[in-house]
Amino acid sequence: MTATCGHARRMTAPESPRPPQRLAARVVPYWIFGDGMTSIVLTGLAWFLGRPWLADNWDQWSPALDNVLLGLCLGSLSMALLIPPLNYARWRYGFVDDLLLMRYGILFVEERAVPVRRMQHVDLVRGPIERLFGLATLVVFTAGNEGSAFRVPGLPVDVARELRDRIVQMRGDGRL
Amino acid sequence: MPPPAPAEGALTPGDELSAESATESPAADEVIVLARGHLHPAILLLRLIDALRQVILPLILGLIQPWFLVAALALFVLQLTSAIVRYLTLEYTLTQDELRIREGLLHRQERRIPLDRIQDLGFESTILRRALGLVVILVETASGRGVEARLDSLSRADAEHLREILLAARPAATAKIARSDDPAGQGEPATAQLPPEPEVEWLVHRSTTRELLVRGATDMRMSAFAVTGYAAYELANQLGFIGQIAGIASTFRDWLASLPTVLLLAVLAGAMFLVVALGVITSTLGNLVQFHGFKIVLTGDVLQRRYGLLTTRQKTLPRARVQRVTIEQTWLRRLLGFAVVKADSAGGSRTDGQDTSAGWDVVVPLTKADTAHALLPALLPGIENTYFAWHHGSRKLVIRTAVQGCLLAGVAIAATWWRIEANALFALLIIPIWTVLGVLVWRNLGWASGEEFFALQHGIIGKTFACVPTKKVQAVVIRQGIVGQLLGLADLTVYVAGGSPTCIPDLTLRDARQLCCDLSQRAAIAAEQDW
Repeated sequence: MTATCGHARRMTAPESPRPPQRLAARVVPYWIFGDGMTSIVLTGLAWFLGRPWLADNWDQWSPALDNVLLGLCLGSLSMALLIPPLNYARWRYGFVDDLLLMRYGILFVEERAVPVRRMQHVDLVRGPIERLFGLATLVVFTAGNEGSAFRVPGLPVDVARELRDRIVQMRGDGRL
Repeated sequence: MPPPAPAEGALTPGDELSAESATESPAADEVIVLARGHLHPAILLLRLIDALRQVILPLILGLIQPWFLVAALALFVLQLTSAIVRYLTLEYTLTQDELRIREGLLHRQERRIPLDRIQDLGFESTILRRALGLVVILVETASGRGVEARLDSLSRADAEHLREILLAARPAATAKIARSDDPAGQGEPATAQLPPEPEVEWLVHRSTTRELLVRGATDMRMSAFAVTGYAAYELANQLGFIGQIAGIASTFRDWLASLPTVLLLAVLAGAMFLVVALGVITSTLGNLVQFHGFKIVLTGDVLQRRYGLLTTRQKTLPRARVQRVTIEQTWLRRLLGFAVVKADSAGGSRTDGQDTSAGWDVVVPLTKADTAHALLPALLPGIENTYFAWHHGSRKLVIRTAVQGCLLAGVAIAATWWRIEANALFALLIIPIWTVLGVLVWRNLGWASGEEFFALQHGIIGKTFACVPTKKVQAVVIRQGIVGQLLGLADLTVYVAGGSPTCIPDLTLRDARQLCCDLSQRAAIAAEQDW
């Protein structure tokens, strides 16, 4: 199956720019620690509190269900461990000319392009665990109500500050 | 009641300026006041009626418990005082660069809205206000919050005058034209210093009663009917009929059970028909009332809509603020060849449900589909010179829907096999149905990218045409699902400052990237020129 609707103009058109930068590698432990914490806690609760309680109080509890629960718990734990590295491997961001480009996602891939001059304001967000890892999230807002916030997570603080300053600078003199 | 003369007199610009120079002579050479005024005194009458209405319930309760009479009196006095204070203290001033609204006695507040931020100046008038010759002015900015300020109410003449001056002053506020007129000048100093504006009003569209009737009849929303039904139920409940109705319902059920099947079906069909007919009638009436006498005119670069029977609305929309124009056809309207034209503007208050129900985004309530397309240049100047080369999406779209059909069929069979065994294989029918749907979607999906505009057309049953000026693009996003990644398909979503985003589904990844690159770079160039 070759590419259909082959309009010559678009076939020979230059390849669109790709975002060049990667996130900081320590975003992987941060994601495991930050996002994975929820699933670890839930798994622990289900296995160590839920299972004995069910086994005592529900007369239809069987070893088969026990295995299912074990599978679920192991699955969610391994997801918490596996998804962050994959996500990290996919994440790209960067400036090309005066566009901020992002590309990320595992099952659902998104590519975003935001012209710097369309940005209304820029935020640096640092949660408590993020601060522990020395990371920051850059949030960029454009005009409009829906889908107007664009986030770049897992940046080293100095890189994030530099990006913010660069956006401010590109937008013009202190008009941000 | 005092005659409305003082308020109107205070608004003629000549008088205004002399008053200004007399009272605030030191500041006069800094700010030129184009208009200044108070609310119309008749608003006190409306407030009185409001206060009376609020007091009715405590008064009735007062028949039982005398304390409520005191409460009612206190409430009444409080309402009326606050209305009088508000009336006495509220003053609006239109200068060359901003609109100032000052109000409050204890809690003073002065709001200043820069003229170039004012998105729209809408008029609204309920039937009571109309009888008194009043209009409510709604000042909208692009903040996304919708209505920024309300002036409730001015006389119609004052309102028209204010709007005229404001629209005339806005280009000056943006371009910072040096003011040369001396305050002593008679006549119209406000407009004299501006570049001559063409005062010609171009009628873009006037809705005929027939169009509105068709709009109502093809309005598929049953919400109007549901509301009527609920209101009837409420009324019956409050009048204590519910018990009787329940009795009637049980005898009715017995009667139904005694009927033969054919007759029963006929009765049910008749009831269904009645429900639908009632829905159509209510929505027709609703549409006639809402859009009565709809007219859209173009003056200079500003579109203006006027409509309404009970509550009249007048709404301006500068063409430069139009973010997207859509021509929508539901299946019934597509069969009849009719379409609705809507325009999203920056800061349009989509989130404010009340505004959309009042039809704020409707530009043409209903017209023939080809007329609707012919009207586009009036909304998006320059589109008449744009050549749209329409492209289809990728043919792989059909494969994607077929794959999804297979997955769906697999899930359905797996879920039902243990119960109905071989009968579950009927789920395989999903696959051809999905494939045919995919072919239909592909045939009806088209997009075109011109120099200044970008258009999309889709819909297999209804039909939607959307057109976005490329210089309004805020951001572009490409999305790929799981099947999309396998087949190299992607959805492209274009974000503008107002309204909902526009999404083109199922492009090839190459097309999507190319388009994304094009659009975002044009947006970047446009953003640079905006500065």
